[in-house]
Amino acid sequence: MSAVAAKPTAGSAVDMTAMIIGLIILLLVIAATYFVFGSGLAFMALIGIIIGGVLIGFGVHFVPVGGAPAAMGQAPGIATGVAMLAAGAGLAGLFGGAWAAQTTDNLYVIVITGAVGGGLMMAITCMFVTFIYVFGMGIPCASGKVLKDPITGDTQPEFKSQGTEGHGLPFVSYVGGVIGGLFGGAGGTLIYLMLLDLYKEELPGMMNALPGQVLPIAVTLAGMFAIGMFLVNAVLAAYNITGTIEGPHDPKFKRFPRAIVASAVASAVCGIVAIMIVAL
Amino acid sequence: MESIVFGIGITALAGALATVAGAAENTESDIGSQGDPNSQVQLAPQMGYIHRIFNKAVAGEPPAYGLWIALGAGIAWAFMAMQINPILAIVLGSGLAVFVQGVYATTAYLGRTASLAKFGQPVYVDILKSMTTVTMAHAFVAIFTTVTLCHLINAALGHPFPLPLLGIVWGIALGAAGSATGNPFYGKERQYQNQKFGAGVPIAASGNIVRYAEAGERNSLDNGWFSAKLGGPASGVCFGLIVFLELWRTVLFEQVGAGWGAIIIGIIIILVFTVIDRYIEVWARKNYGPYQKPTEEASS
Repeated sequence: MSAVAAKPTAGSAVDMTAMIIGLIILLLVIAATYFVFGSGLAFMALIGIIIGGVLIGFGVHFVPVGGAPAAMGQAPGIATGVAMLAAGAGLAGLFGGAWAAQTTDNLYVIVITGAVGGGLMMAITCMFVTFIYVFGMGIPCASGKVLKDPITGDTQPEFKSQGTEGHGLPFVSYVGGVIGGLFGGAGGTLIYLMLLDLYKEELPGMMNALPGQVLPIAVTLAGMFAIGMFLVNAVLAAYNITGTIEGPHDPKFKRFPRAIVASAVASAVCGIVAIMIVAL
Repeated sequence: MESIVFGIGITALAGALATVAGAAENTESDIGSQGDPNSQVQLAPQMGYIHRIFNKAVAGEPPAYGLWIALGAGIAWAFMAMQINPILAIVLGSGLAVFVQGVYATTAYLGRTASLAKFGQPVYVDILKSMTTVTMAHAFVAIFTTVTLCHLINAALGHPFPLPLLGIVWGIALGAAGSATGNPFYGKERQYQNQKFGAGVPIAASGNIVRYAEAGERNSLDNGWFSAKLGGPASGVCFGLIVFLELWRTVLFEQVGAGWGAIIIGIIIILVFTVIDRYIEVWARKNYGPYQKPTEEASS
């Protein structure tokens, strides 16, 4: 088939062959980890990393991102890149989660603290986006993808400026942003926590040092890997979205199953590298 | 008790530093024309509009600031490990990071503008000379304040992350908050000042950015002056609130209910901002009303 005759791809269709190959790679990595390291801490760390990565990849789809058109009031959403905004929120969550991990051992408290940190960052940022649109530019919010806001029921088309796809953040996009921040913060914190537990356990034996001495190294290593894996998953989801998305009501949101498989595979491959540096 | 008072004092100081950082970051990115609105600066010559706006989209603001602040924090951390006074170490680290930013700004302006040569866009050396230093100065303020707040979080509040890691976390968050809040104000309100107020820019008008000022041609210093009136301060308050409230809920409420206290306070804060957002949205719908097509000007 020539390039001209080829149908445009990157639609919402799911490529089953690619999904199956992805799932096979995922199962292979999980099985390899189980056979090499057993069902101990390393295996649990890998599972946690995969869940964290999926949470991040899924969460990014909620974040309303308008990119360059949003900066001119030509499209709804926040005027920045998908991966960047999600990273900003998720890392703010990771910051909170890592802090909480210092004082408590309760997994739920730590992960939820991270989630709330990400949600808080997105709530404040989204509120200021609305503030700038309304008070700085005199533009009310209007979605270009739906006739009515699914949450508030507000009608949208009559507020849309001529020649644009909409502008600002309708309430459903605001809620989507906060949910995206919650997922991102939780996922990043979970990855950090899993790696931190593993490193705290393995590093003293490996480096012949006391647990207190290796703690700063464990924290730094886990933090670096968590940030790296966060960016991997956020960028993967951004490729799946291709450009802009308004939030959970956008038709592009339905593409998330692809991102979940992709995030799981990418997290498993990155995760096994992060585990092997101490567990082998 | 004393430790809580100390913690709150540090939290307030970090929030104030973050406010200054956000304002400086947004003004820097608007003077340098970084971030999403730069797409129009790049597009304008291709549509036949030659301009004198700086053009430095090194990267999106979050990764760019992630780099510069992690660099400043990393160098400062290394100096502190050499027993140099923290203030001096932070100044030196920020100064060196700013030189990297200056190099990026110069190469980005030259490279991006030279790529527009076939559309007749000249490379103005006077623009390069007069504006690069101004973006560097603003970048220094943003980097210095953010590295300082990271140092406070690490040294005074006891966050486990080392300084460079905090630098990358808060650098990306700074860029994300600054670009989200400040970009529309620069992109729509300043670059398209010739369009109707209170409406989005029609896609058909893309590239037709305002190129003339009160006297002579508009340059990016004029844009910095404009966005420093609302886009910059709003970005500052946004980032300041993010840092302040995140630290405040942790410092005061982390010990309450075995960690659940900070979570509940965080959820309450999210709900408060949700109510404010909804109020602003409804207020705009009521007061501005639906979109009305511009009526034809009465032609005499």
